[in-house]
Amino acid sequence: MSDSRRRSRGSQEEPAGPSNGVGGRNRSERASDMGDEDDIVGGPSGISEEDDDPTRRREIRSKYRDLINQVQQNREDMLNPANNKLTDVLEEANKLFVNVRQAREAALDAQLLVLATDLGKEKASQLHAEGSAFDPSAFAEHLLSFMGLNRLEDESGQDGNLEGYLPQGAWQKLANRTESCFKTAPSFHYMLGSFLAEPPPPRQRVERQRKLPSKEAKRIMPIQLKKMEESHQEATEKEVERILGCLQSYFADDSGEPISYYEFVIDPNSFSRTVENIFHTSFLIRDGLVRMFLDNDELPCIGKVKSISHYCVCIWLNVLADDIIICVL
Amino acid sequence: MSQRKRAVSASQNKTQRRSQATLNEDEEEASFSQVTSSQVQRARENFTSDQIDRKVAEVVQFILIKDQKKIPIRRADIGKHVIKDYKLLYTDIMNRVCRTFEQVFGLKLVETDPKNHIYILINKLDPIQGEPVSMRPVTQKKGLLFVILSVIFMKGGVIKENLVWNTLKKLRVDPGEKHDEFGDVKKVVTDEFVRQKYLEYVKIPHTEPVEYEFRWGLRAEKEVSKLKMLEFVGELFEQDPQSWTQQFREASTQSTVDTSSQRTSS
Repeated sequence: MSDSRRRSRGSQEEPAGPSNGVGGRNRSERASDMGDEDDIVGGPSGISEEDDDPTRRREIRSKYRDLINQVQQNREDMLNPANNKLTDVLEEANKLFVNVRQAREAALDAQLLVLATDLGKEKASQLHAEGSAFDPSAFAEHLLSFMGLNRLEDESGQDGNLEGYLPQGAWQKLANRTESCFKTAPSFHYMLGSFLAEPPPPRQRVERQRKLPSKEAKRIMPIQLKKMEESHQEATEKEVERILGCLQSYFADDSGEPISYYEFVIDPNSFSRTVENIFHTSFLIRDGLVRMFLDNDELPCIGKVKSISHYCVCIWLNVLADDIIICVL
Repeated sequence: MSQRKRAVSASQNKTQRRSQATLNEDEEEASFSQVTSSQVQRARENFTSDQIDRKVAEVVQFILIKDQKKIPIRRADIGKHVIKDYKLLYTDIMNRVCRTFEQVFGLKLVETDPKNHIYILINKLDPIQGEPVSMRPVTQKKGLLFVILSVIFMKGGVIKENLVWNTLKKLRVDPGEKHDEFGDVKKVVTDEFVRQKYLEYVKIPHTEPVEYEFRWGLRAEKEVSKLKMLEFVGELFEQDPQSWTQQFREASTQSTVDTSSQRTSS
């Protein structure tokens, strides 16, 4: 290979046209003509400037790659015994090889050669089969027709473009027709399903669980509020009665001396208790069961009611920063 | 130091467990084969005929259900799940199971792998064109399988995977894309069909990058009628099936082999 390269480099010195005599020959002939090339004067061993032109080399490389792609993509087309596409590719490669000077392009050329010979071998094996050959592409076309391909007639199809579309039940139609070629054992399935129907329940359970918490939450709210209101009223009445009981027992024991108001209501340990006491006592005074008055020292006292109809006491408590405003009607 | 010891002993345990598992499998295989006739005789006396009948029925049902996915059934599975204590009577039971399948269901239990004892179920009766075989409609994958099998057959029995992909592409089935009806086509063809033993997906040695080739699988050899396949191809091409002389010869020899084997078995 390197010999022929050097020799073709030498012939590059001459104008391009006639020099094609060396490179344009068929590959198969090249090997046998090695002897003839001895007559041609070998060129300089160094690489001349023309050979080193990167753009030209890039061009050659891209053309080789195009050829290689073409062979790889259209492999089936090339194998078709009806055309000579493979020979065309080889001739193109021959033309390109004339301009190949360096190893990189030659490697691409070698790659293309490998692909082409592979295809050549397959094409040759096709010839071996006696009787008619089998073409998978034609088979595919016939299958498409069988499956009812709708060919779109508006656009003209190019090479490699798949036109038309298969209708819905296309593959089913093919499967039905070819079913008789298979001796498949029919698969065994229970006709109506089994009695153990396990999958459905878990879904229902999940749904119910999700629903319940929200309902209960809503129900809880009203109940709690009602209870609160009830407890309020009961507590107040109970407290009021309790205080009345305390006062009555006190007045029964003692001779009826009035109690200092402050001593009665104030809880030294709890301010809230004190306020509650004042609140409950006000109910007693409102109802006229006890009376409240200012004694000699002008301090409020709680005393027994002398008669029921005399006084109608209404106390309006407004506790703001220890101010107690008492309204007596 | 102790940690290293523990790690070593842990890995030893793992390998022990693995070897234990393989030992179990080997033991099972051994228990199947190393059975003497006297052991079998004693076993026959141990169980009543009712019990053996029930075991036969259980094995038949097990195989029928396992066959739903069309994946071959292993003898080890049958032994482990169904036969269990009746292992010594395995041959007896299996003979009766085969006879039940043939006479009651019209199915054949075929051993595809005599070394590993793997079985498949095929239909004994020839299907008639136009009459459905089972209550369920045949799946579309059968059509896909038929295309691949027919291409392999017409091309002489072995093809490179690229031929299959290219042919499928022409049929609007691209292994690179998700197909509406078949889904992941590459997986269906190279995994599912191969596991069901319809196809063989074999690496071609000394190829770089790695290439594979397709052949007919064992199940296809038993189930598919090459003659009928050739007839359909002839219909599509509007050619006489006999014009493909090599394939026709191959198809005829297959049918004669099948009929002769049927005659000897029945």
